[in-house]
Amino acid sequence: MTPIAECVAAFIFGTTVGLLVQRSRYCNVAALRDAMLFKTYRNTKAMLVAMIIMTVGFTAFITIGAGKPMRFDVGLNTFIGLFLFGIGMVLAGACTVSTWVKAGEGNIGAWWALLFTFVGMFLFSLLWSFVYWPPAPETMTGNPNLAGLQLGFANAATLQSKTGIPAIAFGLIQALVLAAIYRAIVRRERRRADARAAVEPMESGACDAWADPTGGAAAQGALASAADSPGA
Amino acid sequence: MEFFQKTLDPIIALAAIAVLDIFLFLTVGAWTVGGGETMMTGLAAKFVMGDAFNRIPFWKLAFPPDPYYWKIYISLGMVFGAFVGAMLSKEFYWRMPHRVTEWVMITIGGLLMGIGIRLAFVCNVSTFFGLTPEMNLGGYLAVSGILAGAWVGTWIYKKTLED
Repeated sequence: MTPIAECVAAFIFGTTVGLLVQRSRYCNVAALRDAMLFKTYRNTKAMLVAMIIMTVGFTAFITIGAGKPMRFDVGLNTFIGLFLFGIGMVLAGACTVSTWVKAGEGNIGAWWALLFTFVGMFLFSLLWSFVYWPPAPETMTGNPNLAGLQLGFANAATLQSKTGIPAIAFGLIQALVLAAIYRAIVRRERRRADARAAVEPMESGACDAWADPTGGAAAQGALASAADSPGA
Repeated sequence: MEFFQKTLDPIIALAAIAVLDIFLFLTVGAWTVGGGETMMTGLAAKFVMGDAFNRIPFWKLAFPPDPYYWKIYISLGMVFGAFVGAMLSKEFYWRMPHRVTEWVMITIGGLLMGIGIRLAFVCNVSTFFGLTPEMNLGGYLAVSGILAGAWVGTWIYKKTLED
């Protein structure tokens, strides 16, 4: 594909994603934050379903040598970086997807979050230019590099080449684990719904967070106050 | 049109995105956002700084600015798609955080997201919808990190709400 064709394909994909996320009110922050804070799983379940489909799809194509998996060394920086990102996305009330989607809906807070994400990236580029860590992609070897706190590179393709077992077999195991987590969430929701039904009649049309008798008040207050935040 | 009148089930939306992401994986690579944002940062810094930009090794060694970097156009597509969806469903309106606390949290949150993405080389989208489905070792490290970070962030968020 030519670079222009790649950009067009990416734009069409992004436009479809923007439309679907806007219409579904899906939010990656809510998938984690609401599960931890309010014990509601509307977005968590959607995320798990997507991960199951992608795991099976990606590993099936990796098995036959198709697809373009990401290739770079990972290490301590991967954990610390996403740790900082995790704190940041909850504070900002938006992740990388919802900032763009909320920005498209006219949310000034989301534009502000994007601006400071760019500022954060630029500040890191200055810091990197002094410490040169983590290693630049060009200097990555794919092998463990303890001095650089790097574990190297490994994915379904390397698993297949090292074990001789098709990547899809590993993918199916991962998909089953994700499906088990999804099932556990659904069971938990059913138990909560049963407990709620025993206490008071269910209000039709109420969303999980608002109907929750244990955390409902907190959820209402939080959701109301977060209504104007980028990811709300 | 009903699509623009009712909220879509996020499971259906994400299932559709997952199928599309498999096609993207086959053509250019899995869905990611952080890389495009970094490239936009580089292009913007180059435009603002002029020749001084070339003195920052990061942009020469790790991320040389390129306007034809396909990941940029995923982000531009997302903002365009969301704008179209919001307009057609009459949900577009200018809104902004009212309290100083919110502005401070968004500012700190944005900075942490930017620093975190560049430190890890990945964002949350690559973590959940790229690396982990590819069974990349980095996906498991990133999921562990983001869960720990989201837990700490949630604790801070909860404390802020209580105050």
